This record gives sequence, C-alpha cells and structure tokens, in this order.
Amino acid sequence: MNAMPKIHYFDLRHVTGQVTHIDIDNNVVESAGTSYFNKAVIRVLHKTGWGVLLIDNYKPCHGKKFDALLESASSLSSITQGNVILGEAPNGMLAVPSMKEDPRDVSIEEKSSLLSGIEQAARHPSVVNQRANYIEKIEHVQFSDSSGNEFSYEMCRSGFNVLAVASRNGNVQMGYERKHSIHGFNLRHQQAEGEKAAGIAVTLLDAAIPKGGKMRAVLDPELAGVFAHEAVGHASEGDLIHEGNSVLKGKTGQKIGNDTLTIVDDPGIHEFGFDPVDAEGVAVCRTEIIKKGVINAFLHNRETLSSVGNGIAGHARAMPGEPPLVRMSNTFIENGDAAEHEIFEECKNGIFLKGSRGGQVDPGRGIFQFNAEYGYLIKNGECTKMVRDVSLSGEILTTLHGITLCGNDKTMSPGYCGKGGQSVPVSDGAPHILLIDAVVGGSGVD
Amino acid sequence: MRWWVAVAWIEQLLTEAKKSVDEAEVFFVKATSVSAELKQKKVNLATTSEEYGLGIRTIHKGRIGSSSTNDPGQWRECLSAAIASGKLSTAQEWNGLPQPAHLPKSPLSFDASIRIEPNIVIDLIGKMLEGAAEHPAEVTSGSASLSSSTVTLANTEGVRYTDKHTGVSLSLEAIHGQSTGYEFDHSTYMEKVDPVGVGEKATFFAVESDNGKEIATGEYDILLSPLAYGDLLGNVFVPALNGRNVHAGRSRLAQSQGESITDSQISMYDDPLIKKASASMRWDAEGSPTHRIDFIKEGTLKTFAYDLKTAYRFGETSTGSAVRGGFGGLPSIGHHNFIVDGKRGIVDDERVIYIHNVVGAHTANPMSGEFSVELSNAFWMDGGEFDIPLRSAMLSGNVFDMHRNISGLSKESRAIGSMILPSVKINKQHIIGK
Repeated sequence: MNAMPKIHYFDLRHVTGQVTHIDIDNNVVESAGTSYFNKAVIRVLHKTGWGVLLIDNYKPCHGKKFDALLESASSLSSITQGNVILGEAPNGMLAVPSMKEDPRDVSIEEKSSLLSGIEQAARHPSVVNQRANYIEKIEHVQFSDSSGNEFSYEMCRSGFNVLAVASRNGNVQMGYERKHSIHGFNLRHQQAEGEKAAGIAVTLLDAAIPKGGKMRAVLDPELAGVFAHEAVGHASEGDLIHEGNSVLKGKTGQKIGNDTLTIVDDPGIHEFGFDPVDAEGVAVCRTEIIKKGVINAFLHNRETLSSVGNGIAGHARAMPGEPPLVRMSNTFIENGDAAEHEIFEECKNGIFLKGSRGGQVDPGRGIFQFNAEYGYLIKNGECTKMVRDVSLSGEILTTLHGITLCGNDKTMSPGYCGKGGQSVPVSDGAPHILLIDAVVGGSGVD
Repeated sequence: MRWWVAVAWIEQLLTEAKKSVDEAEVFFVKATSVSAELKQKKVNLATTSEEYGLGIRTIHKGRIGSSSTNDPGQWRECLSAAIASGKLSTAQEWNGLPQPAHLPKSPLSFDASIRIEPNIVIDLIGKMLEGAAEHPAEVTSGSASLSSSTVTLANTEGVRYTDKHTGVSLSLEAIHGQSTGYEFDHSTYMEKVDPVGVGEKATFFAVESDNGKEIATGEYDILLSPLAYGDLLGNVFVPALNGRNVHAGRSRLAQSQGESITDSQISMYDDPLIKKASASMRWDAEGSPTHRIDFIKEGTLKTFAYDLKTAYRFGETSTGSAVRGGFGGLPSIGHHNFIVDGKRGIVDDERVIYIHNVVGAHTANPMSGEFSVELSNAFWMDGGEFDIPLRSAMLSGNVFDMHRNISGLSKESRAIGSMILPSVKINKQHIIGK
C-alpha cells in the first residue's frame, strides 16, 4: 500500500464475523439463529485531524482502489482544525488464549437444550417469568497501518444471562445472573445460575427499601469493581483528560485515597475485556491508574499519549465498524490484606451491597452513581435484614479516601461498557471493600 | 419520485423463500452519514459512513426464523440461515404477515434540503460555538451529524413499501471550574434544530451550576426537565406498556388495564403520523399500518403495545408498534413518537427544585419502578428564575408512584429521542442531601 504524500498516517481495521443468539422466554424459544457482519474503518491523519470512512461490506483491495479510499478520507480530514500528533508506542500482539471447548463445535440444538435447562432451573411457584439468553460473537480482526504493521486475530466471546421475575400483590422483583467468557463454551452444568436468579427474585419480595443517607458500606467484589470502573476508570481516560472533562486532569501525584488502594486497567489479562492488541495496533499493557492512593497514570491511545502524557497507549478499543476510542478493558481494585470477616467487623453498623445494575459518571464534575442489585443491613458486624433498590453516589476526589479496607478475595465480573455510542466488552473486579461515609440512595422511611 | 423502486434481488429472494417456507419478509436499510467531532473548540475528526442492513424473517407452520447481514450480496446465505433458525423456534399461533395497504406515499420525516456534506456539519459546529461563546465556560467536546436513509420492506403477501428519512443531530459539552453543562438537539428537519441554542445552553448550565449549595435531606416539590423526565420514563414506564412484557409477567402494569394509574390530568400516547417528528412512520417495522395508540387517557390505563407475534400469541391485535433495533435487527415492540400530554400551565411560579438532568437512570429497577439517581444541573427555582444551584444530591423514588403526584405540565414540549415531553412538576419527592 502506498500512502498519499500528504497523509501523515493511515490505518485500516476490518472486522468480519457472526453472532449466534438463542432467546428462551417462559419455556418458548422466541428466536435462535446466526447473523453475519462485515465492517471496516479507514482512518487517515493529517496534521490537523482525522478523516474517517466507515464502510459496510468492505472488500479488501489494493493499489488504485485502496488509494481512492485513502483519498476520500484524506479530503474529509481537510475540514479538521486541530493539531494531532501521534505518540510513539510499541507494536505487538499477545496470543489469544485457547478455548476449552469451541462453541462452534456444539450444535445450536444442543446449545438451545442446555440454555433451556438453565431457564427451567429458574422456575419457582412465586416466579412469574423466567428468561434465558445465549450470545456468541466471533470476530475476525485484520489491522494494517501506514507504518507497515499488520495484525490479525480471531476472538470468540460467549455466555448467557438468566432473569427471574417474582411477583406478589403488585410487588414485582427480579433476579439476574450472567456469565460471559473468552475461554469457550460455558453453558454446561449451569442450572445453579437459574436457581440463584429465582432465589434472589423471590427473596426480594420480602426485602425492605432502605432509608437513604450517609453510612458505612461493605461492597462485594462485583459492586466494588463497578465502583472502580465508574468512579476512577472513566475519569482517567486520556481523551476526557485532554478535553478538560475530567476532575483528574492535572492531579498526577496527588493522593486521593488510602495506601491500601491500587486501581489498575489491564487489557492483557485473560478476562472478558481482553484484547490481544489494541485497535491502533499498539501492544496492550497494564496501567496502574491509582497506586497506593496516589494518581499515577492515565489510559491512552496514541493521540492522547502525545497530547496529555503520563501513561501508556494501548487502550484504544472499538466496536466493529466504529473508530477507536480510549476505553477501559479489565479494571480492578488490587487485593489488600483484610479478611472478609474483618471488613464486616470494622463496618460494625452499616449496609452490605451486592451485585450491580450498572452505573454512570459525570467525569468533569467528578460525580458518580451506581446501583446494587440488593443488600443487607449490617448490625454489630452481622448481615441482618435484606434490602433492595439501593444505590450509591459520591464525588471522585473525596470518596476514595473513604475506602479504608480492601479484602484479599478479588474476583472479576464480565459486562459491557458504553461510551460515544459504542458498547465494548469489559470486566470489573475487586476484593470486598469497606467504604466509610458512603452516600446511599433509597426511598425508604423509618 | 417512483414509490417502489424495484430491487431485483429482493423479488428473487422472496420467490426463492416461497419454495421452502409459508411466508417471508425482507427489511433492507441503506444509510449514509457525515459527522464532525470537536475536541475543545477545534474539529478533530470528520467521518462519513455508508451502511447497509438486511434482515430476513421466515415463517413456516408458526415457526419464525430470522437472520441478518450487512452484505446484501450474501442474501442467499442469509435466507438459508433464517430458514435454519425457524426450525429451532417454538411454533406459535400465526395468522399471516400484513397484506398491502393503500397508504399515503409522501414521507413524514424526510427533509429534501438536507445534503450529506462535510461543509454543512462544519457550519452547524460553527453556530454551536457561536452560541457557546455567550457564557464564560470552556467547550470540552461536541459533535454535529447529518444522515439520510432509505428503508425498504417487502413480504410474500405483496407488501412493497419504501420510505426515506433524514436526520440532523447536535451536541455540545462544556465545563466551568468543576461544573459541567450538556445540551443536544435533533430533528428530521434542518429548520427545526437550533445550533446556536445548543451551544448557548451547554455553557449556560456549566456556568449557572457553579458554586452549588448543599441541600438537606427531605421531601421537596420538583420540576423535571423533559430530559430528566424522559430518562426515567424511558427506562421504566415505557417498557411496562410493552405487550410482551405484560404477558410475560415483566410489567408492574399488567393487571391495571382500566384502572387509574397516574394523576387524572395525564395522558400518554404514541402518534406515528406527526409530520416532521423524529420517529414518524406510516407502517411499522413489519408492515402493519400505524395509527395513534392511547395508552393512558386522563390517568386511566387503556391499552398496551403489540406487534404481530405477541398479538397472535395472546389473542390481541397488533397496534402497529413493531420497531427494529439497529440495522437488520429483528422486529420487537417499541414506539414511534411517545407523547406525554395533559392540561398545560405555568409550573415554575412557586418555589421548586428544577432538575435539568439525572445521572444513572438506567440503573432503575424496571420491574418495581424504584430508582435513586444523582442530580445534574439542579437549581432552586423561584418565580421562573434559576436561583441557587444545588451541588450534589440524590433523588429517590418510584417512577410509577410519582406519576400519581404530578401537579403540572409545562406549556412547551421538547423532543427527546423518540419521545415528546413537557417539563413535569411533581410534589413531595424524596431528596437525599450530602
């Protein structure tokens, strides 16, 4: 490929693949089958900015045909007005971990039967609806750029969700379990997940709505992981720092948490947010965003590495057919040394929050909010009454000081994260943590 | 303009499908767009896109199959995948895809004056920045985009529909100290967007929200902007009107038909036929003619939304509510232009907490309606004027129950995605201070 003389840089990311899904709702196979996609992004960089072509149904081409595409992107970039410089970053690709069982080796009939087993396991006299979904996405990624880098790999992500809805006298509650993996087919021997979803939905019928206010909270590993993602991860994204839309801008070296607190993003570990190479062909690497309570480094792509500094590139990610953005991948709070029982004893009186219904952050204002699936009131270090519909909010720069204990039982949970209209697979994780002065939202009264 | 532009491969596809299945349906979208993105006050990225989506559904002995691709050249493989998919699904009561109807042929949401050209998005960006300069906040990011799409629906019963849509969409974010402001606008018609206003409001809210004061936990009368109200309504209330959720036991409103469920001044309806509205269509995503659906009339729940599949299964009638998520997506129950209406009046004459935006509405419990969200750009408002900004607080409540405490709807409405909503005054809501 020969670049136009005026083009500083170009790259092509072409993703083809297929998505297989099964949806079983109250014992009915609503839909099941496979769909196909073929999407490419060509980016051309001029000194002033990017010209980007999003092309559906891309047919790989060379010579004059490819040059014509570069020319289109190049002419588009002529309307940009900035000053974009790409930082130097090492190229390279990790091996994609092998799968224990390739989902493609299992017939869709067997997948449907196994999923049905999980869905049926969520049946219970008080459950009015149970629903299970299977999703399997296979992506073939081909990347090349004007520096001669070329990478190609295949990733398969598969997994399931199971939902149980319990109802009594107009009180409707839900239990929701999900397991998604990059390690291969995971539908076998999972009925317990259906039972768990039903158990939670039914128990929640008798749960109380807590009274909101400031209190001590113990967060389970899943919710503490979402905390790391919402309260710290987004605000450390280099594009937001560059735009001036993050409270962490200019705060490198500032202590915002206790010595026990280290928060990391690492696309290279074999969790659901794994990328063998980032969407700009840059080698992926661990970034310690918060190190022993101090703001240490930001997440970058090549452009923000150059404009902001402090951190490494390798955090560019993209949905098929979309331009790369700076994104989190596998984000977690590192293990501390507290045992779980010590965390509850130290909390003494407060609230234990479990599971996540997601969260959101305004990184410029430094305010975040996220929601637990359920929880328990803690009295004298013991879990007592179950509570539901409870959320947490806080300010990034002050709340992290409130994490006074980190457990030693870190686990990761898969999920998806939305930004700029793109949804990418991520995982979040943490050990159990103690958060003092947590602002808990709940509409309950005494 | 020719109404039905014959697409040979679609005819071929339907003929081929008839050899194997009772019925088949083709949904084909072709779209182009151009957009530009700001990093602070400079355009940093310009994008064009050309997208295709082909979705095929087959029905054979009550079993519905489906597949999609963005390569129409691969329609044979896509058809085979749809037929194979149908063999897996559970058979259900099925009384046929829609027959052709004589519908007016003029598009409802197509602005012929919109050209998909980079210089036009640059003009829009320039106007947003001009508006933003009215207040001393820093622009952090923003975007402008133009799009045009052609949608084709054909089935083996003889339906051949084509429609065109255009769209213009704007957004701007700003910051002043540690106070942020965000504004957006979108329409199918260029004349209906206000780029200067978008810029002006984004920087206004950033500046005006600075130096917020604390608020004590308690019960307060609140005024939700269309943006804040739409976030809660769309995540909780609207899904509860979906017929499939109703019959599956996933709606709190399932047993409430004919009952009073909101304040008696409130009506909620879907009007798909409003000229120039964002989601207007004369036929739904599976070819059923669309019409107004009155979900809630003066507080009383009248009906739910149905597509063909759910209607056939539960002995109901399709309300023409099938929509598709994304390109080539399967039809599912949704809405066109969802409208909240009722007696309009002055809602800000008494002291009230105005809430422009909320953070975290998607974490609400869609079954029970319980929510706790963080406030964004909230103010004490007095006599219609923004008085004291609130620094940080949560609003907790129940989306269903709060509709019983609505005490007023503003005179003006605003389009928020495919919803058209007023500002809503609600009495005695629980706010948690810090």
